[in-house]
Amino acid sequence: MSEKTSRRDFIRRSAAAAAGMVILPEIIPASAMGMNGRKAPGDRIVMGAIGTGSQGMANMRDFLRLKESVQFVAVCDVDTRHLEMAKRIVDTVNKNSDCRTYADFREFLEKESPDAVAIALPDHWHGIIYTEAIKKKLHVYGEKPICRTIKDGQIIVEAVRKNNIIWQTGSWQRSQANFRRGAELVINGRAGKISRIEVGLPDGGRGIGTPPVMEIPPELDWEMWLGPAPKVPYRGVCHWDWRWILDYSGGQLTDWAGHHVDIANWGAGLEHTGPVEISGTGVYPPEGIYDVPVEYDITCRYANGIEMRIANSSRLQHGMGTTWYGDRGWIHTDRGNILTASDKTILEEVIGEDETHLYRSENHWQNFIDSIHSGTQAIAPIEPAYRAISVALLGEIAMTTGQTIYWDPEKEEIIDNPRASRLLARPYRKPWVESEV
Amino acid sequence: MNRKFYILLVAVMMTAFLPSCKKTEVNKAIIITGQDDSHNWEACSSVLKEILDATGLFAADIVITTEKGGGMHNLNPDLSKYDLVVMNHYGEDWSEAVSEEIMDFVKNGGGVVFFHINGSDGEKHEFEIRTQINDHPVTKDLPVRWMHASDEPYQRQRSPAENMQVLATAYSDTAFGGTGRHEPVLMAINYEKGRIFHTTLGNAEDENSPALQCAGFIVTFQRGAEWAATGYVTQEVPSDFPTAAGVVLRPGFREISLDEAFSNISSYDIDKSTKYLTFVQDQIRKAAGDEKQLVKLEKKMVAVLKNPDATNEAKKIMLRELSWMGSDYCIPVIKSLESDPELSDNVDFALTRLQK
Repeated sequence: MSEKTSRRDFIRRSAAAAAGMVILPEIIPASAMGMNGRKAPGDRIVMGAIGTGSQGMANMRDFLRLKESVQFVAVCDVDTRHLEMAKRIVDTVNKNSDCRTYADFREFLEKESPDAVAIALPDHWHGIIYTEAIKKKLHVYGEKPICRTIKDGQIIVEAVRKNNIIWQTGSWQRSQANFRRGAELVINGRAGKISRIEVGLPDGGRGIGTPPVMEIPPELDWEMWLGPAPKVPYRGVCHWDWRWILDYSGGQLTDWAGHHVDIANWGAGLEHTGPVEISGTGVYPPEGIYDVPVEYDITCRYANGIEMRIANSSRLQHGMGTTWYGDRGWIHTDRGNILTASDKTILEEVIGEDETHLYRSENHWQNFIDSIHSGTQAIAPIEPAYRAISVALLGEIAMTTGQTIYWDPEKEEIIDNPRASRLLARPYRKPWVESEV
Repeated sequence: MNRKFYILLVAVMMTAFLPSCKKTEVNKAIIITGQDDSHNWEACSSVLKEILDATGLFAADIVITTEKGGGMHNLNPDLSKYDLVVMNHYGEDWSEAVSEEIMDFVKNGGGVVFFHINGSDGEKHEFEIRTQINDHPVTKDLPVRWMHASDEPYQRQRSPAENMQVLATAYSDTAFGGTGRHEPVLMAINYEKGRIFHTTLGNAEDENSPALQCAGFIVTFQRGAEWAATGYVTQEVPSDFPTAAGVVLRPGFREISLDEAFSNISSYDIDKSTKYLTFVQDQIRKAAGDEKQLVKLEKKMVAVLKNPDATNEAKKIMLRELSWMGSDYCIPVIKSLESDPELSDNVDFALTRLQK
């Protein structure tokens, strides 16, 4: 451990030195920095991956595109097919066969000491595995939404604070020019004083009814996949489609809140607070094992009077994305490099030197690596991610109870509603327990 | 269909909206049917009566016109006795006097519902309906997207469509002989003091046709009828209203009752329908924190836990709900299940959340 800590300190120190000479690459040829233009090995961030399904692999590819910046050494997944695929890619890049594989994250965390870990798991596992990785003082690239429950989120936020690690949430929209520009225009008042925000997230899809119980495929450790979630028989629904079952996810609402609510908060200056009043209605499928709401319409009021509506996109004028409405007009942004406004001239406005300039990152994964080197906060730190998903999770509670929820964003508790307060956590199934931070 | 009546449906309409006084009594409805060669009007009319009567808001009569060539002499309804006219008739014109009577009926605040009627149909298939207007009494609180059971989608309807509100549409898929456009499915018109609701859904061979058993058809028909008769809708959107997730059929045309839900939950098993549980969850949501209502539901849930014949799976789903909405009342019964190894995880879940 001491060896590892000193290595990390070395990375921080050398990064700090480099930070003092930002124009260095323009003056000194890259070849002078290491053999044949390659960076010295110590500059490479050693990484592991926990969860190597579709999103985990996408993240790994994004990191590997950074070429010499990272080196993966170990991967972990409960599905041996995922593990094999991940190992194959890592070994190909590393030109060896050394990538270590783990079926159990506990063994991974015990035996491996990478600098950083990329984690992409079903939401119900985030609380435990994020926290345990953070407690090992690994820098974490963690997928959104960062938690299945507000309680899990609070534990993760606390763990990041206490362990002084670099956290990057997988809300990569922050590193896209249109989202940043939209948020920066808004925070500098180009739409005027913001009174309301609309956030459009995807509609829910078709159900699959109640499929029969099936034999667990040999490559899958189903018990470990379920982990702290209630024990249920295997029905062929596991990877990817866990998103449509409440035990593991809140559906499109919670999947996407980490993107578009996060952007909404970024622009409106709400990323370190939460709403004070939340109400909403959900449309739940009457039949089948997919039980997440397929439609939702949530209204939140913030202490400063801003009203945020989060709904499935078919209900909103601008559809998907974030729209801020102010007394000078509206600004809308969405994927596909979309940035529009009620008046085009708003989009041409220049942000002056003494105005607010939002954190700039051109590449979300590079930003994580750079932040590890410099020891400074990444573009998508933990608290904004927690505040973004909290909005959706409080909306979920409002929909479940049929009640308006009053929330104290400072104390982070529901006011005067014991029933709703119980929904802030989902008790873990034994032997799993909440991590001590 | 009577030409004058059709004109009434589509003509330039007055926007005057005069809310009726809220009636406490059951609304009288008259279903006018017959002659139609291309539809099973007998089966449909009997289903429409059943659907209307099931609301508890209507008592419906069925009036059958004389067979084609009979001259429509027998159609001479005394509309002063009725609040709602349901049109399920496609055939010869009726008399000027009847037309005038119906016109007066609407002008003076009566309601009319047009059911399906003939048009240009595509091939039968399940299709998605989009609620286009959410603040109309008929469609308020309905999902924006919902699946309709196999039916012939209507298309190429023609009319000036003035002062008509298109409440819902469906994409008319060219793969099923459709137009490739979004076509109106539910429509509403205010005409002087009266109201007209038109549903294009419900092309049925008989009472077993999915188009009639679709919970979406049934509920929108019931809501449209109440609005046409009274100007408002008091019926809540039921838990089994279909969503984008899939079609929902009501073979018995009725919504689940609370007792029926709980008796079915007692025998719930992992391969069975989840609709009774979602019904109960919907009841909890609708209680919206109302203590009395929640305690009433809690007692029924606890009865499942106490029931020695209830399945473990039934007890598990009850424990999940009680874990957040239960009161002290459920605690001893939950604790009594603690020693059951099949239920211990779920008991643990519930007691942890209940902090007991």
